[in-house]
Amino acid sequence: MQTASLLVRKRIATLFFLFTLGFFLLGGRVFWVQFVRGAELSEKAMQNRMRDVPVESKRGIIYDRNGHELAISISADSVYAIPAEVCRTGKQQQTADKLAEILQMDKEKLYQRLTRQSSFEWLKRQITPEQSKKLRDLDLQGIGLTEESRRYYPKKTLASHVLGISGVDNTGLEGIDFYYNDLVGGTKGRIIIEHDAANRPIPEATHKYIPPVDGANLILTIDETIQYITERELDKVFKERQAKSAAAIVIDPKTGEILAIASRPTFDPNNYDDYPASNRRNFAINDAFEPGSTMKIVTAAMAMEEKVVDENSKFFCPGYIKVGKETIGCSNRTAHGNQTFAEIVEKSCNVGFVQVGLDLGMDRYYKYVNGFGFGKLTGIDLPGEAAGILVPENRAKQIDLATMAMGQANAVTSIQLVNAVAAVANEGKLMKPYLVRQVIDNEGKILKKNEPQVVRKIISEKTANDLCLILEGEVTNGTGKNAYLEGYRMAGKTGTAQKIAPTGGYMANEFVASFIGFAPADKPRLVCLVVVDAPKGYPYYGGWVAAPVVREICKDAFRYLEVTPDQSENQEKVEKVVVPDVVNLPLSEAISIINSRGLNVKVSGTGNIVWQQTPKANNKLNKGSQVIISMSQFDKNNGDSEITVPDLQGKSLKEVAKILADLGLHLVPEGYGLAYEQVPEPGKVLTNGSSIRVKFQPVGE
Amino acid sequence: MELKRLKFVDKPFILSLIILIATGIIILTSASSGISSDPFLYIKRQVIMIIGGFIVAAIIIRYDYAVLRRYSQVLYILALVLLVLVLVMGQELRGTTGWIKLGPLPAVQAAEFTKIFLIISFADFLNNKKGLMNNLGQMLPCFVYMGLPFVLIMLQPDLGTALVYIAITIIMMLIAGANPKVLLTVVFTALLLVILTLFLHFQFGMWLPLEDYQISRFTAFLDPYNDGQGGRGTGWNTIQSLVAIGSGGLTGKGLFNGTQVQLNFLPEHHTDFIYAVIGEELGFIGASFVIILYGILLLRAVYIAFNSRELFGTLVVIGVSAMWLFHIFENIGMSIGLMPITGIPLPFLSYGGSSMLTNIIAVGLILSVNIRGRKIVF
Repeated sequence: MQTASLLVRKRIATLFFLFTLGFFLLGGRVFWVQFVRGAELSEKAMQNRMRDVPVESKRGIIYDRNGHELAISISADSVYAIPAEVCRTGKQQQTADKLAEILQMDKEKLYQRLTRQSSFEWLKRQITPEQSKKLRDLDLQGIGLTEESRRYYPKKTLASHVLGISGVDNTGLEGIDFYYNDLVGGTKGRIIIEHDAANRPIPEATHKYIPPVDGANLILTIDETIQYITERELDKVFKERQAKSAAAIVIDPKTGEILAIASRPTFDPNNYDDYPASNRRNFAINDAFEPGSTMKIVTAAMAMEEKVVDENSKFFCPGYIKVGKETIGCSNRTAHGNQTFAEIVEKSCNVGFVQVGLDLGMDRYYKYVNGFGFGKLTGIDLPGEAAGILVPENRAKQIDLATMAMGQANAVTSIQLVNAVAAVANEGKLMKPYLVRQVIDNEGKILKKNEPQVVRKIISEKTANDLCLILEGEVTNGTGKNAYLEGYRMAGKTGTAQKIAPTGGYMANEFVASFIGFAPADKPRLVCLVVVDAPKGYPYYGGWVAAPVVREICKDAFRYLEVTPDQSENQEKVEKVVVPDVVNLPLSEAISIINSRGLNVKVSGTGNIVWQQTPKANNKLNKGSQVIISMSQFDKNNGDSEITVPDLQGKSLKEVAKILADLGLHLVPEGYGLAYEQVPEPGKVLTNGSSIRVKFQPVGE
Repeated sequence: MELKRLKFVDKPFILSLIILIATGIIILTSASSGISSDPFLYIKRQVIMIIGGFIVAAIIIRYDYAVLRRYSQVLYILALVLLVLVLVMGQELRGTTGWIKLGPLPAVQAAEFTKIFLIISFADFLNNKKGLMNNLGQMLPCFVYMGLPFVLIMLQPDLGTALVYIAITIIMMLIAGANPKVLLTVVFTALLLVILTLFLHFQFGMWLPLEDYQISRFTAFLDPYNDGQGGRGTGWNTIQSLVAIGSGGLTGKGLFNGTQVQLNFLPEHHTDFIYAVIGEELGFIGASFVIILYGILLLRAVYIAFNSRELFGTLVVIGVSAMWLFHIFENIGMSIGLMPITGIPLPFLSYGGSSMLTNIIAVGLILSVNIRGRKIVF
C-alpha cells in the first residue's frame, strides 16, 4: 500500500493555502460589489425596471410691464392607458366601449391599444375639457389623464424677437423663452411604471404620477403699447424703403429698462416655420454695424469731458481734411467754413470731428469708447448678443482715430449705441440694459428681481447736460430737423454710415441710416434709436429716413405716457409751411416756387425736370427747412422706367418738347401756339419712350 | 463490509454539503418560480436528481475506490466515446451541442459525467507515473492523455468545461509531483499566447477560427458597457448580474422579491446566474454564507486527500476538488464581473440534473476515500 509522500503532502498544504486565499478573494469582491458599488447598482436596478413617461410642465406666462400677456401656455388633457392595469380588471371591452363613446374613436382600435403588450399607451392627446370631465367622472381603472401644454403667443409678431420661440417639446429655443428657460420651463413631471425585461408592465407594481411643476412667470420691462407703436413705425419705414433690415429700441435712460425693442424682418412665433430662419435674427442685438455720425455723440461727450473743446472752440471746415496720406471729406464735400463746436455737431461736420478726435488722442479715445461699453457685451438678458468689433488699440493708426471719431471703422450693435447715448441722457451714468423686471412663481413669490444697475459713471453731470443741449440744437437747427416734435424738447443725432463691402472697402450705394433721439432734452424720459440698413431710394440720409420714425414713436409714446407738451418751448421760432408740389416742373420754376414758401432747396442729380421731391407735397415743414429735389435720372435708354405724365397746359411748343425729351417721352404735336389739351392726361404713368399727343392753340383765340 | 468505517466520515464536509444543497433548493424555488406555469416544476426535478444522486453515492461508498483503478482505461475510453457521441448526435441547447438524448431518457450533458471518468482515469495514469514528471518530455504524455478529451470538448464548443479540464489536469499533476517550475512555465506560456493572439486579432485583425461575437462574449466582462450596444449586447449578462448582486445590500431584497430575477432582467438566473439570485435576494449575508460553505467543503476535501491512504485516492479527491474549485471560481467570478461569461454551473446550487448527479457521485467518491483513510480500524 502506497501512502502519500511528503512531497505530495507539502503540495496539498500549499493547495490548501491557495484555496483559502481564493475564497477570500471571492468574498472580498462580493463585499466590494455590494457595499462600495451598492448605491450605484441599486440605482441601476431601479432604472432597469422603471419606465418613465414624461409629463410636460406648463411654461410660465410672459407679461409686459403692465401685466399684459405676451406669451402664454395653453393646455389640454391627454388620455393614456396602462394596458396591464386595464387587463387586470377583465373589463377591456367595456372600457374600450366607454372610451370610444367619449373620445369618438374607433372601438376596435382602442381595444387593441388597451390590450397591447406595452407598459404605456397614449390614447388621445389634447382632448376637450368636456371629454376630460367625463373621463374624470368615470374614473376607469388603468386609464389616466395628464395635462399637456403648448406655447402660444397671443400678440403674434409683437416683440417676437424678444419672446423667441418654443419648440415642439415645449422648451424655449430662442429669445427670453430660451434665456430664462430654467425658470420659465418648470420641472417635467413623470408617470413611472414598473416593467419587466420584456417591457411588460407589472400589475400591482409601483406606478406613480409625479406632477410637473409649472414654470415661473416673467414680467418684462417691455411696454406693450410702446412696443406696438415702435413696431408700427418701424414697419412703415422698413416697407416703404424696402430696407434689408431695421431695428428700433426705446430705453428708459434712468434705469436701463428696455421699453420696446424691435427688429425687421420679423416673424410670428406661433408659426415660425412659415418664415425664413434669417427672419428670427434679432438685428438690434445680434448684428453689429458701423454707425456713422450717431457715434459722434460719444466723441463729443469724451471731448467735452476731457475739455478738448469748450463753447468757445473754433473750427474751420474747408470741406475736407488730410490725415496722413488720406483725405476725409464732409458729405458732398460741403465746406462748412467757420464753426463753433455746437455747430459741428449740428451740421455733423466730419472735418470738425476728425480734428476733435485727433486732439483727443488714441489713449483717451479708447478709454471712453470702452467706458461707454463698446466692444463688449452689454449683458442684456437675451441670447446671442454680439460684442461688436473695435479697431484693436495696439494696431490703430491716426487715420483709424480720425475715422473712429466720426463713427466709421468701429462696428457696434444697436443696443450698445442706444445704451451709450442713454448714459449721456442719464447724467453720465451708464446703466446695464435689461428686459426682465421680475420672475414670479405661481404663488406670487418673487424668485428673481432685476434692479437698475449702474455699470459706471462715464462722464460728469455737467458734460452730459451740456451735450444734451447741443444735441437739442442738432434737432432744431441741424441735420435732425425731421425729428422735431412740436411741444417737446427733442435732442438727437443723425447718422448715415457707409457700409463695408464684402470685397473690402466701402460700398458706393448702400448706407445705414440711423437716428438716435431723446426727449425732453432737459429731463430725458426716453431714448429712442432707429436704424435702417440699406434703405432704397433717395434721400438715404439718417435725417430723412430714421429721424421721422423716431419723431413718430416719441410722439405717440409721450401721449401714451402722458408726458405733457411744453407749450412755451420754441413756439415763436416755428412757422409751418406747406410743401408745394414741384414734381415734373422745370428746375428754375421749382426753385422759385419752393423759395417763395420760405423753404430752402437742395438739388441732387442733373437734368432740367424735377423727378422726385422729399418731403412730398402737402407735408408741413418748419420755415427754413430744406426740400430735396432730385432731377430726372432717366437715361434715354432706360427702357423700364415709369414716368408720370406732366401737366403741359399753357406751355409753348418749344418748352413742351424740351420737357418731354428730358423725361424720355415722345411728342406728337398738333396745331401751334400754347398747349391746351394732351393725351394721356397729366398724372398718368407711362413707360419710357411712350408717345404723348399734345394739341396747341394760338393765344387769344 | 466496511460500513462501520462510516463513523470516520468527515462531519464538517457532510454538514456543509447538506446545508449547501438545502440552500440551493430554497433559492431555486425563488429563482424558478416564474419560469413555467408550475412554479415547483424545476424544484421537483432538482429534488429527484438529488435523491437519485445520493442513491448512486451510497452504492459507490460501499465499494473500495481502489477497484476503480482496474477500470481506469475503460472509463477513459467511455469518456472519449461519450464526447464523440456528443459531437455526432448531440443536440444544440443554449449555443452548445453538449446534450445527448438516448431513447426516452431525458437529455443529459455528457461532458458533466466525463469529468468524473477522466478524473478517475487520470488519477490512475498519474499514479502509475510515480512522480516522474521533472521535465517537459516526461510531462508530455499527461498533456496528450488529457489533451484528447480537451480537443473534443473544444469542438462542441464548450470553453467553460474545457477550462475545467485544464484546471483539473494542472492541479492533479502538481499534486502528483510534477516539477512546478516547468508546469507553471507551460501554463503561463499558453496564457501569454492566448492573450497575444487576442491582441493581434483586435489590433491588427489577425484571423482567428472564431467569430467576433464569440470572442466578444468572452472578453465583454472587462468592460461590459463597451460591447458595441451600450451594455445590451454581450455585456448584458455581466451588467445585470452585477446590478442584481450590487442592489442586494446586506440582507437582500428577500426571496421572490429580487427585481432583477423576478422581472427577468437577469438571464439564466436558475442555472448559470444562481449566485446573482442569492446576492440579490439574500444579500451579502447569503452570498458570503455560500462562499464560506464552499470554503469548508473544499478545504475538508483537501484534508481528506491529505489523509488518503494512497496516492490514487489523494489524486481522485484532488481532481474532484479542482473541478469544484474551478466551477465555483468561474461561476461566482462571472457573476461578480471577475471572470468571462462561460456557461458552467455552480455545484449543488445551479439547476441541472447532469451537473447535480455528477457532483453527488463525486461526493460519493470523496467519501469512499474518506472512510478508507489512514485511520486504523480496530
